[in-house]
This record gives sequence, C-alpha cells and structure tokens, in this order.
Amino acid sequence: MDAALRLGAADEAIAVLRETTPFGDASEALLARIAGIARRARYAAGARIYSADDAADDIFVVLSGRAEHVFKPEVGAREALRRVTRGGVFGWAGLLLGQTQRLATVTAIEPTEVLRIDTEALVGLLESEPLEGGHVMERFASMIQREFTLPALLAQVRRLSGPLTEEMSSLSLTLYRLSLWLRSPRPYLMLVGFALFLGFWYLAVEVWKLPRFREMPGLTNVVREWLSPSPTYGLSLYIAEYYQHIAMSVWRVAQGFFLATVLGVPVGLLLGWSRSFKEYVFPVFETLRPIPILAWVPLAIVMFIATESAVVYLAFLASFFATALNTMLGVESIDESYVRAANCLGADRWQVFRHVIIPGALPFIFTGLQISIGVSWFSLVAAEMVSGQYGLGYVIWTSYVMVRYPTIVIGMVTLGIVGYVTSALVRIAGDYLMEWRVRELALAER
Amino acid sequence: MTRGHIVIEDVVKVYDPQGAAVMAVDHCTLAIEPGEICMIVGPSGCGKTTLLNAVAGFHEITSGRIIMDGEVLCSPEKPRSTPGPDRIVVFQNGALFPWKTNLDNVIFGPVMQGKLARKEAIDKGRAMLADAGLSGVEHNYPGEVSSGMRRRVEIVRALMNDPKALLLDEPYRALDSLTKSVMHEALLEIYYKNKVTIFFITHDLEEAIFLGHRVAIMTTRPCKPKKILNVDIPHPRDYSALTSKRFRELIEETNDAVHEEAWKAFQAGEKEG
Repeated sequence: MDAALRLGAADEAIAVLRETTPFGDASEALLARIAGIARRARYAAGARIYSADDAADDIFVVLSGRAEHVFKPEVGAREALRRVTRGGVFGWAGLLLGQTQRLATVTAIEPTEVLRIDTEALVGLLESEPLEGGHVMERFASMIQREFTLPALLAQVRRLSGPLTEEMSSLSLTLYRLSLWLRSPRPYLMLVGFALFLGFWYLAVEVWKLPRFREMPGLTNVVREWLSPSPTYGLSLYIAEYYQHIAMSVWRVAQGFFLATVLGVPVGLLLGWSRSFKEYVFPVFETLRPIPILAWVPLAIVMFIATESAVVYLAFLASFFATALNTMLGVESIDESYVRAANCLGADRWQVFRHVIIPGALPFIFTGLQISIGVSWFSLVAAEMVSGQYGLGYVIWTSYVMVRYPTIVIGMVTLGIVGYVTSALVRIAGDYLMEWRVRELALAER
Repeated sequence: MTRGHIVIEDVVKVYDPQGAAVMAVDHCTLAIEPGEICMIVGPSGCGKTTLLNAVAGFHEITSGRIIMDGEVLCSPEKPRSTPGPDRIVVFQNGALFPWKTNLDNVIFGPVMQGKLARKEAIDKGRAMLADAGLSGVEHNYPGEVSSGMRRRVEIVRALMNDPKALLLDEPYRALDSLTKSVMHEALLEIYYKNKVTIFFITHDLEEAIFLGHRVAIMTTRPCKPKKILNVDIPHPRDYSALTSKRFRELIEETNDAVHEEAWKAFQAGEKEG
C-alpha cells in the first residue's frame, strides 16, 4: 500500500489530480511532485475510511469507486451528505485554520481506490512554490465552501490572509465585515473625528469663551446634567420622564413611518408599473411633494382635532412622498430584459409584477425607506415643537422657553442617537431581504 | 425533426421616430429549418436585432408574416406575436434574475406556467444543471459566478421549457475571446443533446461559421439577407474546426461581403452624425 508509485501509476495519479478542483490548473511539474508524495490505498465496499474527530492527517483523492462523506452536525454545512467519486477530494480538514480533527465521517459505498497525500508534506511542497501554492490553497478554500457547502468562517484555509467570500451565510458575512472594518483605519479615524468635534466644543465654550459660543451650554455642563441622578433642570438618564419622551417620539415616528411604507410602496409600484395611473396621479403628486412640511401644520391641526393624530399625520406625509417617489424610480430602473425574459418564460402580468417588478425595485425601495425614516424624524420634531405634549421636539422647545439650555442639547443628542438606530434598523431589514445584493457587494469589495 | 421551423416572409419594419420614417428591415425573407443552427451576421445596428425581436414578440412588424410550425406568429392582422416559452430569447447582457439563485432562475419557466410543481421542477432543474456541469453553482446568485457560467445557466433556464427554438441575441458579445471559445463548445454540446432550432445573431463572422449550419449575411439598415452560406463542415464540430482548411476558405469567401456592409454602416453613421 505504501510502496512508491511506478511510472505508469504516477501518470495515472497526475491524470486524476488534474480532474480535481484544487489541482485542476496546476502545472505539470507541481502535479508530478504531488503525485510523488501520494500513496495509493484501497477500501472495500462498506469500509470506514475515517471518522469524525480522528486526527486530520491525510488528504484523499478518489481514483475510482464511490464514498459517502457525512459532516458532523455541529459543522453547520448546508448540505451534510455528499457522495464523492473520481476526482473528488476529501479529508482536507487539516488545511483549515486551527483545525486538527476530521469534520466528517467517510465510508466507501463501493470498492474504492484513493490517493492519500500527507497534509503537512503537501503544505510544505506548496510553500516551496509560493505563487502556485497560494493559488492551489485558494482553490481548496473555494471548493470547501462551494462543493462542501461549509460556512465561510470555518472554510478559512491555513496561511491565507483573506477569507473567501463566495458562499457566506448572512451572520458570517456580518462578522466578516465587522472584522474588516475593525482592521481598517476607518473606526479610528471616526474616533479622531469625534474627539476633534467634542474638543472644539469644549475649548470654544468653556476655555476660550469665543463670542457667540459663550452663551452655549458647555460640554462638561451637558454631560454632567445628562449623567446626573438629580439633574438641575429635571431631565437626565436617571429620570423616567426622559424615557417617556423618547418612547412618545419613537411611537409617533413608528406610526407615521409604518403608514407611509404601507401606502407609499404600493402607490410607487403602481406609478412605475401603470402608465395611465401615473398620468392621473403623478402631476398632483409632484405639485404636493415640494410643499415644506411646516406649511402643512395649520391645516393638519384644523383637519385633526386631536393634536396627537396631527403630529403623526405630519410625520407620515413627508415620508410618504420619499417612499413613493423612490419606489417609482426603482420600478423604472428595472432593465427591460428582465421583463422580456419573464414573458418568454411564460409568466403572466401578475407573475411579472410579483417576481420581477417587486424584487427588482427593492434596492430603490430601501433607499427610499432610509430617506423616509430620516424625514419622518425631521417633520416629527417640527410638529412636536408646534403642537403636542411629550416627545423630544417638545423637550427641545420647552427647554428653550424655560431657559434650560443643557437640556436642549440632551434632546438634540438623543434625537441623533435614536435617529441613527432607526435608520440602521431599516438598513438591516434591507440586507436581510436582499441577500443577493449583499453578496454581490461583498464580492465587489474583495 | 419537425419542430422549430420558422418562416420569415417578406417582413418589413419601419420605425417612425418623430415622423421621419426609418426602415430597419426591408422585405426580408428567410426560412430556418427545424433543428438548424442559423446564424445571422451583420454589422452593429444593421437591424438584425429588430428581426429577432419581431420573432420573439417584443416588437410589432409593419408588414409581412412570421410563421412557426404552421402557426402564424404575426401578420398584418396581428402585428405583434405573443412572447412565449416555445421560443426563448437569450439576451445580449444576460437576463438571469439577480435576486433569485441560479436554481430558482432555472425552475422559473415551468413553475410560472404551472407545468411542474416546485418540487418536481427543482429535481429537473438540478438534473439539467448537473448535465451542463453546473451543479456547483445551484445555490449561488448569478452575481456570484463568472459571466460565462451565467450564460450557460441562462441557456439551461431556456431549455427547461423544452422550447422549439432558442433566439440568441449576441449572447457572447461581452465575453473575452478565451471564454467565448469555451462557450461555443459548450453551446454545441448542449445543442447536440437537445437538437433545438437555434436562431443566433452576431457580428462575428468566425463565430457564425464555427457554429452554424447556415450563415445569413445581412445588409446594413435596412436589413435583409445579402448572401446565404451553407457551412459544409460536418457536425459535431469541436475547436479543431477553427484551424481546418475549409473553415479558412469559408471565411475568405464571405469576408468581403461582411466587410462591405460594415463600411456601409460606418459611412451611414458618419452621414447621420
């Protein structure tokens, strides 16, 4: 079994290596060297080749026959069972980062002949040809992800700097992006940016006392007030009322944004999809859209006796226009070939709408929703300043009237944070619904 | 083999942008035999895509008739044929839905038409992808695989519907020449298995002669057949045909005709500009 290969056998080994994914385009010289360290082995039908958790020593290349490769469940492969035939490569766990044990159990289901290649010897050989060797390792990684459907985080091959991204689950993708982000200069530049901004605030107001800045609430003042269990002006992280204001504003934005989405997306889809609907509606739409939201305030108060619904109505109105307009643009951006292809494949009008128009417009719809949640906050605060009780806009306005300047800043910063969180939630929902786009973008970044 | 007999009879297409009539197709008559690979060659913008769009049902025709297997697709009474799964277009820039995985793309036709339940369609789709050597990309989105693979998946998506004809609109135009030659062999391999009529539009004479049973060289705007070449290199062909003596002879025979039309198109372009 361990005997050195005779000449004909070496040719046969090279031939089968050429049929494999990882060695498929390697040079003749490299294949000959790999064949030189390969040993032949035979297994009877039903014989266990190795079991999960055995030491991961050799890599196997099937010459003939058929084996069944079953991952242990913890591995999280998308397809646990795989049949391997001639040209199939298994037993590669030893190539993975930090992996010394078998991830699967492999059983011959027919009389099977294989080449066994010692993992360490192979790695040594590949390292002696760094360029070609790196390429072979990359092909291993992509084979492990694509053919063996292993999650990308696990399928990172030894001594390869970047992980491959072709077949990633959303979670591992998020983690991967996070690790990329942490390794890039961006988070540190961001911290520097904040430090400069806060430093300037502190110096301008409290140290240099520059004109115009002198009257402003200072950084230390605001922070002390915000973190104080018994704040001078009655509002801080320790006061229940603070959270009532936040909850009230969030609840109003949620209602307005929800209504705007539920009405705006269908209206936008129709505008883009039906020419006659657009001809009726779009001119009116375009006349109303540029009217600033504050101009609606008096009518809103007249229309809704209760101030509460007036405030929600104003938050709704602005985001409705943003959502509907972007959705319409999304439908119009869809390449006509997709609609034609769907027609060729026998889809009727409704099926085209469901399977082409809606998914095709989704990227634009989510751009619209990002804008819409922003303008929803904008118009909410404007409305809360004019009418309403509770809410962050109300806090800011009453603090001005009552000369509680640090509380104004607390209200503003809170709005910034809450607004950022809601916007991030919309983006996460979009990434979840458009995995195809996330993956495309991840590949483009590589 | 009696499926996929397409007869284009005296078809005229006049575009009318701002009242200045532009004739795109001029009394074009052409019969495509069942199971034939018929290549249409002409310079860019010569009106050959207009002809394909008329067969597919994306455009109206001005006069004439197009008939497939005895069924009148379009005529003066019904100037626009209805697109359908009996003749499927493979598009220049590819039209796999980027939001569906390759497998979901492939099963789209039968599922939409209600011909197969989703489960059966998945089984058939897997088998057909495996047959084309594309098993590895089932669960990938089209944006994650190479453009050559996307073209092959798109052809598999068409063949899932058992069409009478495939209408290919310069599908390999955007590919580099190495990928292109691989795609040609892959297309022939698929054709030998499925024997479907292929109506293939290109501006590349070598591509046309390598693939086609017959090559129709079109005049430039308005478009009609100028010369029809029978390619007597026997099928099945492989890459070695490209270096054969007969192949070079056929190129020499037709090169002048194609070149002349390209010049005309170029000069017409200058006049318009």
